[in-house]
Parts: sequence; structure tokens; C-alpha cells
Amino acid sequence: MGQEPRDGALSDLRVLELPGDVGAYCGKLLADLGAEVIKVEPPGGDPARRIPPFLHDDPHPEKSLYFFAFNTSKLSITLDITKADGQALFRRLVERADVLIDTFPPGYMDGLGLGYEALSHINPRLIYCSITGFGLWGPRAQWQSCDLVAIALSGMMYLAGFPDDPPNRPYGNQAHYCASIQACTGILTALLYRDRTGLGQLVEVSMQEALSMNQETAMQFWDLRKELRSRQGEGRRLPSGEWFRVPGLGTYECADGYVYLMIGIPGFGAPLSTLIDWMAEEGMAEDLTDPHWKETFAQLDMRLIAQLLQGADVSMAEAWLPKFRYADPIIERFIRTKPKQLLYEEGQRRGLLIAPVNSPKDVVENPQLNARGWFQTVEHPELGVTIKYPGPPYRLYETPWRIWRRPPRLGEHNRQIYQDELGLSPQEMSILAAAGVI
Amino acid sequence: MRADDMPLKGIRVADFTWFGAGPIFTQILAHYGAEVIRVESQTRPDGLRMAMPMPKDKPPTLNVSGYFNNFNANKLSFTLNMNTEKGRELALRLIAKSDIVAENFTPGTFEKWGLSYERILQVKPDIIMVREPMQGLTGPHRDFAGFGAVITPLSGLSHLSGFPHRPPVGLGTNYTDYVVNPGHAAIATLAALHFRNRTGKGQLIEVAQFESSVNVVSVAILDYTTNGRVQERQGNRLPYACPHGTYRCLGDDRWVAIAVFNDQQWQGFCRAVGEEWPRDERFSTFLGRKAHEDELDRLIESWTSQREGEEVMERLQAEGVPAGVVQSAADVLDRDPHLRARGYYVYLDHPEAGRTAYDGSGFRLHRTPGGPSMPAPLLGQHTYYVCKEVLALSDEEIADLTAEGVLQ
Repeated sequence: MGQEPRDGALSDLRVLELPGDVGAYCGKLLADLGAEVIKVEPPGGDPARRIPPFLHDDPHPEKSLYFFAFNTSKLSITLDITKADGQALFRRLVERADVLIDTFPPGYMDGLGLGYEALSHINPRLIYCSITGFGLWGPRAQWQSCDLVAIALSGMMYLAGFPDDPPNRPYGNQAHYCASIQACTGILTALLYRDRTGLGQLVEVSMQEALSMNQETAMQFWDLRKELRSRQGEGRRLPSGEWFRVPGLGTYECADGYVYLMIGIPGFGAPLSTLIDWMAEEGMAEDLTDPHWKETFAQLDMRLIAQLLQGADVSMAEAWLPKFRYADPIIERFIRTKPKQLLYEEGQRRGLLIAPVNSPKDVVENPQLNARGWFQTVEHPELGVTIKYPGPPYRLYETPWRIWRRPPRLGEHNRQIYQDELGLSPQEMSILAAAGVI
Repeated sequence: MRADDMPLKGIRVADFTWFGAGPIFTQILAHYGAEVIRVESQTRPDGLRMAMPMPKDKPPTLNVSGYFNNFNANKLSFTLNMNTEKGRELALRLIAKSDIVAENFTPGTFEKWGLSYERILQVKPDIIMVREPMQGLTGPHRDFAGFGAVITPLSGLSHLSGFPHRPPVGLGTNYTDYVVNPGHAAIATLAALHFRNRTGKGQLIEVAQFESSVNVVSVAILDYTTNGRVQERQGNRLPYACPHGTYRCLGDDRWVAIAVFNDQQWQGFCRAVGEEWPRDERFSTFLGRKAHEDELDRLIESWTSQREGEEVMERLQAEGVPAGVVQSAADVLDRDPHLRARGYYVYLDHPEAGRTAYDGSGFRLHRTPGGPSMPAPLLGQHTYYVCKEVLALSDEEIADLTAEGVLQ
């Protein structure tokens, strides 16, 4: 494996990324694959530099961990594209760019004379990617969005959480991740078209649409059966108010946290009887070893489980309820005696699908990730620290993924881009700085 | 069979993936013109072909699952019995005529079939081979079994999502199966295709679903590796916004999400409400709102709960405040005027399932629009076509293979 960005799969690409944290992960995906991604920041810096948490909780614009997470391997220049001189410089940069990532509201760049129409005249090969809350057109195109609003309007939030709580937002701006992943996929698809034809194009991502697939089967349940999937926490609440879960399917408290059990679905690991054997070995199976329980559990195939948990006809679920009510607490008592890592590793040894509910600490200490050398340490010499970053989402064996450089400091590459490449003189740089352009 | 000028025209994919994350990844390629051949088997059908939901009024065959169909538009289905030697030979021949081979079996399965990367290189030196194991192709947990459902807890998403007084039950779905993992796999594959265009070289790609998924909790990982802080569930709140939550509205289980990130949006919120309570001195600053967030949330909910979610959303949006109804699947599919105007969901006629909805493409290419245009294939629907047109078998050979049970 090589050690230079030129060894990456996308090392022939230059990307301009306008500020805004919705598209920052898209830029990171391209940069860590070797593309030269230049963040074009307003002179005050990308607003994401002010989002917590901060390194050592010091709220300094060069210490945002949020910014670090999404901006590895990139370069940074400052440029005020609302000023005429800034726009002129921006056009020169676009001439030499392959991709532009724009997360401003629809029409904003057009208003500056820097929309797709204008820029594609300068550079017909340009792949211009717009990421917005609702897309570039349609009755709500000008509405305000953010992670929470996009998650709500996409349909996925309706499925998350307990029915007696408000619907849950997933952690960590998943709308930004999903929109960025879709945008990056779109950019690379457009790139393959350009490889063949030489033509760039406009790639449009709506956060709302980017998230829709995360509804799993909910859209199809409605389309095919006019049944509405809704949040159940886990297991199921019946109209009578009674709650149950299918024993072996769900989140169980253990000695040091929680584990998730996915046991008993045919074809998905060892059957429930394997868990009961394990419990019996430790004298904790109570009467679940009786043959009639074995027969009972054997009836639970995938279709029956789906009907019990999601079916419109609840009479079957009501019939099963007393059995579940009896058996589940016995399993709960067993799980509660053991720590999650033991349940995970010993369970897997027995073929049981048991997963620890990992905290960030557990993830960082995970034996598999560490054995595979997954985390990457990156030096931040100006801060005097070396930071352990999440590693590759994928491994391309000919063209390495890497964090090629730490996230850029604000305007760190102004000289390299403006002077060395565009040929501005130091005097011109000073004038532009004084005018607040760079 | 394909539009003539699609970005992935001429790219053939031998698709051995099954369940969620794999087929959704290859569907992205199929949306944009690749010829994706699902290699399936009557002897071991994709579990999603048997999964709910199925149409109410149709026999529950292997061809009508909405779960399966929504992930397999634009693809061909080729049945092959991999337990036969001839089946494995045909698989290798198909791969030799493909640009990409994709699989997401437990590590070792492909090797057991004689389809190691090294063997494939002998028949197709510039192949792009995409493997999507749960844990990776190496390491002490390599052989651990898993599905999307266990990735949510493993990756940290479950621990971090939801309300702090509740157990970490996750997101109600196998979240990473639908955009995160298939998207990452597509990105790696498309980048490798671009590299092949430049250099003529193929390569092996490994997308360990666990590794792919931890990337989407990266901020919490960095907070731990630098500050030693273990982040916990925070419900719907955000440290840098207030109010930020979902609030009950009129109707059965109706909610609206509201987010205020700055003073301008707060002023808009106050105007939209048009009452005195938001103008309380204590709420005039961000720090003040944060300090009294519980009370503010209660006041907001007492206001929203007397109104329809749509009304609240429209009043707030009119004043520039991010707000959105927590939409159900019925809302997004049948009612959302914006999604309808944009035609996000696509209806296709399927020979057994009838006219059903498919998710559109997650992105739009203006010069070369793609997305679902052909319904998901019936199991084995294109076996003859693939034998004849791709593998160039004679009718006699096909008849013999059929009789021997190889094409099951």
C-alpha cells in the first residue's frame, strides 16, 4: 500500500467544498480516497468549527471534535464568495475543479452568479452537487431543514422509540451522514458518466429523500397492506395495553449494561433451545427444559414472529402472551448474571446471535476492531496531541483509504492555492485580506 | 433492456448478495444502468423473499414480498444450485463475464465454492470483487454471525440513541442496512470502477459492516478517545440548539419536530406562536432557554397539542423556523405534497405483486436520471436469458442443466 494521496482511487480529482456541515462527510469520503478536497470557508470559518464537543472541552475554533470528525484529509482556504473579487477567484478555482459540493439553500449560488448554469459554462466537466433539506425544486424547496426535521419528515422517526415517549431522534446527525453518502454515490456515478462522455452534470440530493430507505418495510407495509408500522420500543404493545416480546428477541439487561438478543428465528443462528441448554448447564433454565416448551418454541418461524410483532390481527398475539410472560423472565434472570462481552463471545461460540450494546468506550476497546488495526492515529502537532480516529468504512486493496492529513486549520492552504497555484502576488494577497475577501 | 446512455451502461454485476445491505448496494448500480444479475437459488432463497409484508389479497409466494421487491428493482434473477459442481462452474463463468462480483456471505462460503479472489483473478484479471462481511475477512471475531439488527447495538448507535430513562433498544429498524452500509459499499465500488478506467486494474474491496457503521458515530468516538467522555443518550435534545425536540399535536399519535439554532429562528418562533409566553425574559437568550429547557418544552407542547401538526409546521416554516411533522409511511407515500410533486416514490407493475411502490433513487442526476424502472424479478425469471445471452449456452445445454437440477 502506498502512503501518498496519489495512491488513492480518486487521486486525480479536485473537489471544492462550500461550508455547511450537511455535506462535510461527503467531502471526507472523497478526501480519504485520495481526492484533493479544498474547503472554501468564509473568512470567519466554517460554522461547524464552533460545534461541540471540543478537544479538552476548550471551545476554540481549531479544537472542535465535531469539525475534526468530518474534515480529515482536506485542505482549507478562506474566500468570501459574496464579494466580487471572491467570485472572480472562485470562478478560477472552478475552472480547475472536478466536483463542487454546495449545501446552500436553493437559488443562493445562482444569486451570486455561481449556480450550476453559470459554472458549467466555465467548466462543462464540472460535477456540481447540491445537498439541501428538500431538494432544489418543489413546493417546499425553500423550507428550513436540519437533521431533526429531515428525520421527522422522512418517515424513519415514526418508527423509533417507545410508544409512550415522543418519537426518537437517532444519535449523531444521521440525516447529514445519509445525505452525504447519497451525494457521494451520486457524484461518483456522475463521474463514471463523465469518464465515458466528458460531460459533467448537476447532482441533486434532498435530505428528506436521502433518508427514505431507512423506513425499512414501513412504506411497503402501508402500500401493500394499508397497515401502519409505528414505534414499539421493542416487542409489541397490544390495543389492550399489554406488552410482550418474543423471548430471545430484544434488549436484555446484563450485569454491566445491555445485550441485544436475536435468537430463535430459523436461519439466523442457533435456536432458542441452544440458549436454554446453556442456561441449564448453569442451573438457571428452571422448567424451560420441559419438552412442551421445546415444541412451543419450535413453532416460532419467521412468518409467525412477524405476524405476532406486526400483524394487524392481534388475537394470535393474545393467545401467545401467557407463554411469553412465563418464559421471558427466566431468560432475563439468566442474562442479568453475566457481563456483555462474555455473553457476546460465549454466545457466538455457541452460534447464538447475541450482541453487546456497546458504548463508545466499548467500541474503542473492541477486540475485533483493534486486531484489525482499524483505528487510525493522527498527529495534531499544533495542539500537541495525537488523536485516535475512526478508521476506514471500506478497504480497497489496490488504492488505500487513509486519513492523509489532519483536518485543516482555517485558511491553512491560502498561500499554496492562491500564490503557488493561481499566481497571486503577496501584495495582491494582502489587498484581498484587507478587503476581507480571504 | 437498459436506457442507452446511463452512467453504468455496459457494467455487469454478478450479484451473490442477499438480505438487506448487499442487494440495496447493487440496486444503486442497477438504478443507473448496470446489468445486475442476482444469483439466487430455489434451494436457498433470499430470506427477504419470505419476509413480511406481502400483499393482503395475493398468495404468499417467493415473489411478492415488499421487503425483497423494494431492494431489487431493475435486476435480473438467475437461479443456480451452488451445491452442484456444474453450478459452481457456471458461477465462475458468469463472474468471468462480469465487471463486478459482490457477496455478503459468512467468510469462507465463497472459498468453499471454489470462488476465492485468487481463483477469480485467473478467469477475470481486472475483476472488482466486493465482499461485505459483518466483521471483516480477518480477526478474532471474523466468523461471528450477524445481521443488520446486531450492527446497531455493536456500533454504539443503540447506546447513544433514545431517552436516557429507557433501555437502548435502537431505532426500530435495522438502520445501517438501508443507506449507511449499501451506500459505503457503492462508493467504494464506484471509486474502484473509476480507478479501473484510469489504470485498467481491478481490485478486492472489503466492506466490513461493523467498521462501516462505526463511522456514523464518529463524534462520540472522538469525544471518548480525546476527552475520555462516554456520551450517553440525550433523547431528542442537542447541546447547540434549543428548543430541539418533538411535540405532541392534535390527533392520534401526531407529533411535530421543532429546532431552533439561533436568535433569528427564535424570533421567528415567537412571531409564529403570536402569544406572550415565548417572550418571557428567561427565554430571550440561548443560555436562558437551555437553563429552562424542561419548562420551555412543556409550554411548547401545551401550544402544539391544541393544533394539527401540519398547521404548526406551516406556521413555523412561514417564519423561517425548521419544523416538520413526524410523518408516518402513509404520510410520506400518500400525502406529503412535496414528495408527490417530486415523484420520489415510483409505482411499477409486477406480474405477481401487482402495482406497487418503490423507493426512488436517493440522489438525482440531472443529465442522466435513474431509479427504479423495472420491477423486482421473479425468482429465476431470467435464468434462460442469462444462460443464453450471457453464458452463451445452447438450448440443448440449458435443457440438460435444467434436467440435472443445476439451474434451481
